[in-house]
Amino acid sequence: MNSPIETPPSTGIGGPGPELAVAGGQPGLPLAKPHMNPYWAGLGLGLVLLASFVIMGRGLGASGAFGTVTAVAMHAVAPAHAGQNVFYSSYFGDGSVNPLKDWLVFEVLGLFVGGLLSGALANRLRVTVEKGPRISTRGRLGFAFLGGAMMMIGAKLALGCTSGQALTGGALLNVGSWVFMMCVFGGAYALAWFMRKQWL
Amino acid sequence: MMAPFYKFGLFGDETSLIVAFVIGIGFGFFLERAGFGNARLLAAQFYFRDLRVLKVMFTAIVTAMVGLYFLSRVGLVDLSLVYLVPTFLVPQIVGGLLLGFGFVIGGYCPGTSCVSAATGRVDGIVYILGMFAGLLGFGEVYPHIAGWAHSTPMGQITLPKLFDISYGLLVFAVVLMALGAFVAAEWAERRFGGKLPEAGSLLEPTRRLTPVRRLAVALAGLGFIALFAGSPYRDAKATVDTKQLSLEAGAAADQVSAEQLADWLIAGRNDFRIVDIRAAADFAAYHLPDAINVQLAALTADLAARTERIIICSDSDLRAAQAWFLLRSLGYRAVYVLSGGLTAWKNAVLFPQAPPIGAPARDQIDFARREAVAKYFGGAPRASSGSASPAAPVAPELPKVAPPPPPPPDEGTAPVPARKKREGC
Repeated sequence: MNSPIETPPSTGIGGPGPELAVAGGQPGLPLAKPHMNPYWAGLGLGLVLLASFVIMGRGLGASGAFGTVTAVAMHAVAPAHAGQNVFYSSYFGDGSVNPLKDWLVFEVLGLFVGGLLSGALANRLRVTVEKGPRISTRGRLGFAFLGGAMMMIGAKLALGCTSGQALTGGALLNVGSWVFMMCVFGGAYALAWFMRKQWL
Repeated sequence: MMAPFYKFGLFGDETSLIVAFVIGIGFGFFLERAGFGNARLLAAQFYFRDLRVLKVMFTAIVTAMVGLYFLSRVGLVDLSLVYLVPTFLVPQIVGGLLLGFGFVIGGYCPGTSCVSAATGRVDGIVYILGMFAGLLGFGEVYPHIAGWAHSTPMGQITLPKLFDISYGLLVFAVVLMALGAFVAAEWAERRFGGKLPEAGSLLEPTRRLTPVRRLAVALAGLGFIALFAGSPYRDAKATVDTKQLSLEAGAAADQVSAEQLADWLIAGRNDFRIVDIRAAADFAAYHLPDAINVQLAALTADLAARTERIIICSDSDLRAAQAWFLLRSLGYRAVYVLSGGLTAWKNAVLFPQAPPIGAPARDQIDFARREAVAKYFGGAPRASSGSASPAAPVAPELPKVAPPPPPPPDEGTAPVPARKKREGC
C-alpha cells in the first residue's frame, strides 16, 4: 500500500482537535476533520433508525444484502446447486421478483454512498490500511479477511448483525437482540487481549 | 396518521427501494461521521481507549426506542406492525460470540465495513471479501445445521413481554442504563486511555448544562414520562368510517362467490389470502386450498399487509360478517367474505347438482364445466333431483385433505403466514 496519498495511520484515538485541522499536515492534502461527537452521531443514527421504523416498519440492516448478492452470484454460476441449497433458495422468494430488487440491497447501496459523502466532506477519503504500528499490512489484511468471514457466519446464525440485530432489535427491546448484543461485546472483549498486537 | 407508512400501503415496493436508498445514505453518513470507517477507532472500544462504539450505539438505540415509544403511544405508529426478528436463543448466543470474535479480529462489522471501503480503506475492502467467503462457506454447511440454527425458538418476543413488565418501565430502565454506561465509559477512557474529559463529553469539567448534558437530561426525562405513560401498543379501540363501510356492504362489494373463488384458485392467482375462521378441528377435516386457519379472537394479530386481499371463509355467515368488520376496522383495505361460506362452496363447487334430464343444452354445457371444476377440487357432482337415483340424504363425503405440513421451524407462535421473503437483516 505505497500509494502516494498514503497517510501515516491516524491515531484514531480521539482524533486531532479542530485547531490542528488547519495547522500543518501533508502538503497538498487537507487534513481530515475530527470525528463528530459520538453522542450527536448517535442521535443522528437513532433518528435515521426511527425514520426507518415509521416509514417502513422495519429497522436498518447490512448483512442480509451480502447474502442476497452471494445467492444471486451462486445462482448465476451454478443454478442447479443454488436451487437445491435451502440457504441460497431462501433468498429467491417465490421467484416473482428479481431478488436484487430487495430493500436491504438498496439500503446498503445507500450506505456506501452516505459513507462516501460524509468521508468526502470531512477530507477522510484515503487509500490506506487502518492498523496498529506493530503489525504488517499483510498481517492486518489477513485478519480483516478472517474477521469478515467469522462475522458473516455469526450474523447468519444470529439472523442479523450489529445493524439488524443490535441496533434495530435493541431499540425494539427484542429479546434475542439483547442477548445477541451482550454476546457480541462479551466475545470481542474475551478475544481482545489476544489481538492487541494488531490494534495497539 | 397511519404508520408504518409502507405497511399501510401508502407506497409500493418500487418506491420502498428509493426509501431504502435514502435511509441507507443517512445510515452511512452518520456511521462515517462517528468515525466508524476506521477499524482502529472501532477496535479501541475493546481496549477501553475510546468507547465511541458504545456511546454511538446506545445513543442511537435510546433515541429510536424513546421516539418509537412516544410515536406509538400517541397513536401515530402501530408498533405491532414493526418487524421483529424472531428469537432463537442458542443460535443467537453462538452467532453473537462469533460476531464479537470477528469484530475484534477484523476490526469491522458489516455496516461499518461498507463505510470503510467507501472511504478507501483497503482493510475494509478485504473485510468485505472475507464476508463473501464466509457466506459461501456458510451456504454449504447450512443445509446440515438448519435444524440446529432454528433450535430454542421463542418467537417474536420483546423483553417487556418476556418479563411481563410494562413497556414504559423497560424504556426508562434502558435510558438509565445507557446514561450510566456513558459516564462509566468516560471514566474508563480517562483511566485506561489517559484521555481527559473533553468538550462535548458528559464529564466535561464545567458546571454548565452543555448541549450533550441537555440531551442526556431530555432522554432521561422522556424515559421517566414513559414510566407512567402506559402501553405503546394500539389499544383495542378503533375508529371506522361507517359511511364507507355501509356503502361497501350495501353494494355487496364485500363478497366473493364460491364459483368466482374456484376460478381464481384454478387460474393460480396468488394475489389474495384465504382466511378460514372456523374451529381448528373443522379446518383440519376440510379446508380450501392454501387457506390459513385463524380464529376470530386471533384476527387482531399481524395477519398480513394491510393492502393484501383477504377472503374470509366460514360456515357461519354471522361469524364471517363479524370477521369482515373486525378486519376492516383494523385497517385492512380489501376484505371479502366468501358468499354463503363453506356451505356454498360445497353445494356450488364441490358437489354441483346435475340438471334434470331434458334440461336445455345451455345448462348441460354449464354443468360439464362445473363437473370439471368439482373434480379439480376433489369433489363429485350429485345426480339431478329428478333422476331415478335420488341424491343421497346424507352429505356426500368431503374430499380428504392432506394433513397440514408441520410448521416451518422459523415460524413464530403467532398465526403469521410465511412471508414471501425474509425481512430481517
